[in-house]
Amino acid sequence: MSGHASAAEQTDPTSWPTAVANPGYAGDTGEFPQLTEDDIRGLTYVGLRPRDGGHASVAGTLPYQVAEKRPADPIFVGEYEERLVKVLSRYPDRQAALLPALHIAQEIRGHLSAETMDEVAERLQLPPAYVRGVATFYTMYNLGQVGKYLIQVCTNISCNLCGGDAVFEAFLDATGADAGAVSDNGLWTVMEVECLGACGFPTVVQINDRFFENVRPEDVPAILARLT
Amino acid sequence: MAEETTAIETVTCTIDGMEMTVPKGTRIIDAAAMAGIDAPHYCYHPGLSSPAQCRMCLVEVEKVPKLVPACTGQVADGNVIRTQSENALKAREGVLEFYMVNHPLDCPVCDQAGECKLQDYISAEGPAMGRLKEPKRVLGRDDFGGDVLFYADRCVMCTRCVRFMREVAQDERLGVVQRGSRNVIDTFFDEGLDGNLWADNIVDICPVGALVSKDFLHKARAWDLDRTPSVCPNCTQGCNIRLETRDNQVMRIKPRPNEEVNSHWMCDFGRLNYQWINRGGRIEAPLVRDASGRLSPVSWSEALTKLADALRGSRAGAKAVVSPFMANEDIGALRRVMEQVGGGSGVFRVETGEEVTLPGFPSLKLRTDRAANVHGAEAFGFTRTGDADGNGGIADLSSFDGTLFVLGDELADVDATFGASAGLFVYVGHFLAPAARNAHFVLPATTFAEMEGTFTNVQRRVQRFWPALQVPGMARPAWQILGVLLAGIGDEGAPGTAADAFHALGSVRPEFGTLQWADLGAGGALLPQPAAVGAGTQG
Repeated sequence: MSGHASAAEQTDPTSWPTAVANPGYAGDTGEFPQLTEDDIRGLTYVGLRPRDGGHASVAGTLPYQVAEKRPADPIFVGEYEERLVKVLSRYPDRQAALLPALHIAQEIRGHLSAETMDEVAERLQLPPAYVRGVATFYTMYNLGQVGKYLIQVCTNISCNLCGGDAVFEAFLDATGADAGAVSDNGLWTVMEVECLGACGFPTVVQINDRFFENVRPEDVPAILARLT
Repeated sequence: MAEETTAIETVTCTIDGMEMTVPKGTRIIDAAAMAGIDAPHYCYHPGLSSPAQCRMCLVEVEKVPKLVPACTGQVADGNVIRTQSENALKAREGVLEFYMVNHPLDCPVCDQAGECKLQDYISAEGPAMGRLKEPKRVLGRDDFGGDVLFYADRCVMCTRCVRFMREVAQDERLGVVQRGSRNVIDTFFDEGLDGNLWADNIVDICPVGALVSKDFLHKARAWDLDRTPSVCPNCTQGCNIRLETRDNQVMRIKPRPNEEVNSHWMCDFGRLNYQWINRGGRIEAPLVRDASGRLSPVSWSEALTKLADALRGSRAGAKAVVSPFMANEDIGALRRVMEQVGGGSGVFRVETGEEVTLPGFPSLKLRTDRAANVHGAEAFGFTRTGDADGNGGIADLSSFDGTLFVLGDELADVDATFGASAGLFVYVGHFLAPAARNAHFVLPATTFAEMEGTFTNVQRRVQRFWPALQVPGMARPAWQILGVLLAGIGDEGAPGTAADAFHALGSVRPEFGTLQWADLGAGGALLPQPAAVGAGTQG
């Protein structure tokens, strides 16, 4: 299999990559001139803000939105190991690489269980207790099971003034889930969050990694329909 | 003279009006301590890194616009530092009020009451009234495993415990989890502190009652305890400790700082292994075998007169079993008695176990030999015998027909005929073991906790301990018993104090003669190696 970690790294899972020049952020698609617009935008890019909200530039992230979480999958193999190696090369020490490493783990598994934290700790050669301290500090990490779609509705001041609470209620009604809990069909988790940092576009809703802006209660069924 | 090329760079500053010169790079809190000023602090600990987490040590530095945390701020040349300025006091009052928002007022049942930094600072400079009207948060408590209980409500998040486990124990089993007001110290899921030999140190360094010892829980109030500096008797490391006593019982053992031996730490094995010091059933009067073969209690003068009469002029030699829990003075006095009666060989037995190092301070270990004065016994020419449990090895003595001394060894494993064939059997010890019933003289000695004396540790450091408990009955320090006996059979005076007994050691082992009692101090002094002492050294 091409593109996997080198043989040396596979035999020693804790090996530390040698310092090299910064290859760019993890997930760089390469030099711009050789890429077509389709390569960059993705095939689903339509050049317009999607009807159901969100910025036009994130249209291409839809595949991530609908990706299945696979709680049993290994987290640092194949392309994920490559991404981790890139991440590690960006920082002077392993502690700093912990946040992106946890993000990779969460991207695959959907949440950070005790076992997942242990695996990350072992891969980065950090004490498990330290990893747990970091993972519990940031609210972006899910410490328990969430649905396939994690719907975070901003109800902080700007969104609240523009009907955030009603949007939140609409999501709860449409999904049939209790706040913060996974719905019976395993698809939905709806929760209130503090400011998502997009106060110019209230109400803001983050579903998995993507923002949906200017959401009104009546938009909710269309958004859910588009995801499923 | 060689030129001084490594002169320490110094800076001069003024702290609370006192001008002082300190080495460059000194932290403000250390400089203040040198000036005798105690800047309030929770998170700072001299044995750990300083994160400036608690914000209690804020001081005002002239020309610096904001208050500076004294635990991380370094002294610069010409600094004018005020720890008691209006600004600093106001800031600290605010910090204290903030802590009291959630700290429960359970001092009446808290183990730390009486030695709690929060209690002290609130009483000294805290706000008179709290302004909070909301209910306090309740986080509950947790069993951290090992000897440690965690009362989350009382925690002030100084993270000393987390840093101890990370930096000193290097076994990071504690972490700060969650954020903001939900912030709490926790173990990593199910993995508690069980199995870490050094975990109890976090109870010592917790400035409030958040981490308490299960062993000590609700056993005594801090202000009821008497604290006596001592030396841990449980292995040859000889950690400096305090014996904390009440009602003539040792309630707990706490480490006493000594940078050369144990820094600020000690192991749980030594800390929790104190019940034997409290053991009852001691011999309380000198017993002498009378004509009918019964051991009957007599006065000290009668017992020692009879014993001196029996020993005087004897040059037949002797054999001895000593306990490595006895002081240098005791063992040395016995060696002198043996030389007085023609010399002889002696053995000691010691329980052994696994050696465990403290990674952050590698010279501190739980040593293999689980008794304090193995190296003292060796210095006085006693040889090791017996198995790893401290048993056996003295079977040949049961048929010995000369003079037999037993000093401190409890003879728990030997049968009741031990010493029956000895011409003269002198037992100086604490408990009336079955084998000691054959003794002609049973003389009650004090344990290390009841007397003054010294132990020699693994570094050959001679360290003093002080009496913490009252002596049971007529028991006397063994050095006193044997010293009076020596005076009876020889031509010298009896030692009146432990210092006399210590100085007399120089006559049997010259390396002890190089040390002065007054120089031992609280931290002890190193013995020179025997080879460096020259002629006259034996075994």
